[in-house]
Amino acid sequence: MGKSPDRIIFHIDVNSAYLSWEAVHRLQHGSELDIRKIPSVIGGDPVERRGIVLAKSIPAKKYNIKTGETLYSAMQKCPKLAVFPPRYDLYVRCSTAMHKILKEYSPKIQRFSIDEFFIDYTNMEKHFGNPIEGANIIKNRIHKELGFTVNIGISSNKLLSKMASDFSKPNKVHTLFPNQIPDKLWPLPVEDLFMVGKATAQKLHKIGINTIGDLAKYNPKSLEKHLKSHGILIWNFANGIEDSPVLDSPSNIKSIGNSSTIPFDVEDKNTAHMILLALVETVCMRLRNEHHRAGVVSISLKTNEFISYSRQKKLNCHTDSTNFIYETAISLFDETWKGEPLRHMGVRLSDLCSSEAVQLSIFEPEEWLKQKQLDSVIDKIRIKYGTDKIMRAVFLNSGIKPLLGGVSEEDYPVMSSII
Amino acid sequence: MKVLMKPIEMIAYFEQEGIPTPIRFRTSSENGLHIVIKVNKIITKTEEKLAGNKMYVFRCMSFINGIEKVYELKYELSTCKWFLFKI
Repeated sequence: MGKSPDRIIFHIDVNSAYLSWEAVHRLQHGSELDIRKIPSVIGGDPVERRGIVLAKSIPAKKYNIKTGETLYSAMQKCPKLAVFPPRYDLYVRCSTAMHKILKEYSPKIQRFSIDEFFIDYTNMEKHFGNPIEGANIIKNRIHKELGFTVNIGISSNKLLSKMASDFSKPNKVHTLFPNQIPDKLWPLPVEDLFMVGKATAQKLHKIGINTIGDLAKYNPKSLEKHLKSHGILIWNFANGIEDSPVLDSPSNIKSIGNSSTIPFDVEDKNTAHMILLALVETVCMRLRNEHHRAGVVSISLKTNEFISYSRQKKLNCHTDSTNFIYETAISLFDETWKGEPLRHMGVRLSDLCSSEAVQLSIFEPEEWLKQKQLDSVIDKIRIKYGTDKIMRAVFLNSGIKPLLGGVSEEDYPVMSSII
Repeated sequence: MKVLMKPIEMIAYFEQEGIPTPIRFRTSSENGLHIVIKVNKIITKTEEKLAGNKMYVFRCMSFINGIEKVYELKYELSTCKWFLFKI
């Protein structure tokens, strides 16, 4: 058998993931209604009707309901819409079960997000048949054992396989090899290309680029003038050029963050500081849980007019101390905030390093050791008895939750900019 | 058979490998009285992993009020709960 120089990459994508998972979970627990077959969405709080649509069923699509729109507007489009709150523990379990099946088909698997995987199928033909046969085996096995459907895209790199899995849904296998690009990829609207968002698409339309084919045939140098390095990136993508490896250790977290939309407008500094503290508490707990320390603290703010801005600061030394990170966050906030009412706040920690082997710093304040012990005791109490058992006195009778956010899909980002 | 998915009280034995076998269970009937049903025969035992949640599904046969009936029991590993799934 001759050696094939080309790689074979599969992209496996769960069809309306959150919704399918909820549907299968309900069916397994005796529900006679398959929520995939009625207009339904996952998202927000169905009682308070707050929040956004995270996933929708195919019948809900017919009402022109879009992922990301508010529940309020979705309910206006379809008053009979069934709404189910998100359940991240279920999603993590489904994703892990899928990962376990995929591990049987290749040693190289990358968890791209909670519902998307790349696997490197190169040289696996002798075990499971040609790529299309192999993909069908995997697709049918997931359907039979786990109860939900997936799309599998096959190609010679990650980008093309990801584009292929998006062709037509559900429960299908598609190929998009480089020789199929002109027929299958180029006629699509340029918005469908990975990394082409709304803003980029508008700029492209202005210079007469409407399809991926237009983009591929455009002069890359003039594209660079319009869009800087991003222009080159998407030009490469439009031509199917992308050669990143399938990374099999995806748990390499680059940052940990938390954000929350606040049910009221924050207009004073004290309340804002409290919300930051509540966010920092959960973020730091997660940071310590992952045995990491952070070197950069950033905050993001969104005003009631949906204008967002953010600031970040590099720390003198890496830390996982709640107090120190909180102090940095509020100093950033005080420098940044211009006094307008805030609707959404977030804290993110990046430049992470392991806390198991740490370079000691002569700049590290002495009281850190005590704080470290305090943080560790608080974490233990919260894990053992519940997060509401111990809280800072500042939150007493404040009406603000002492811990905001929690396990969010940021642990497995829905869409990553790095393929 | 109709889907009930009703939690039940169960006496079962577990093999050394950890696989359970239902022996008898108690459930309440429509008039609120407890009834105890002995599992006479296990016809099939399957394992399902729907949505990544492992359950054992037993298709069983018992005499209920003098009539021989076929029904399904489910054991959910993550919660250690038994259910009368279908009857």
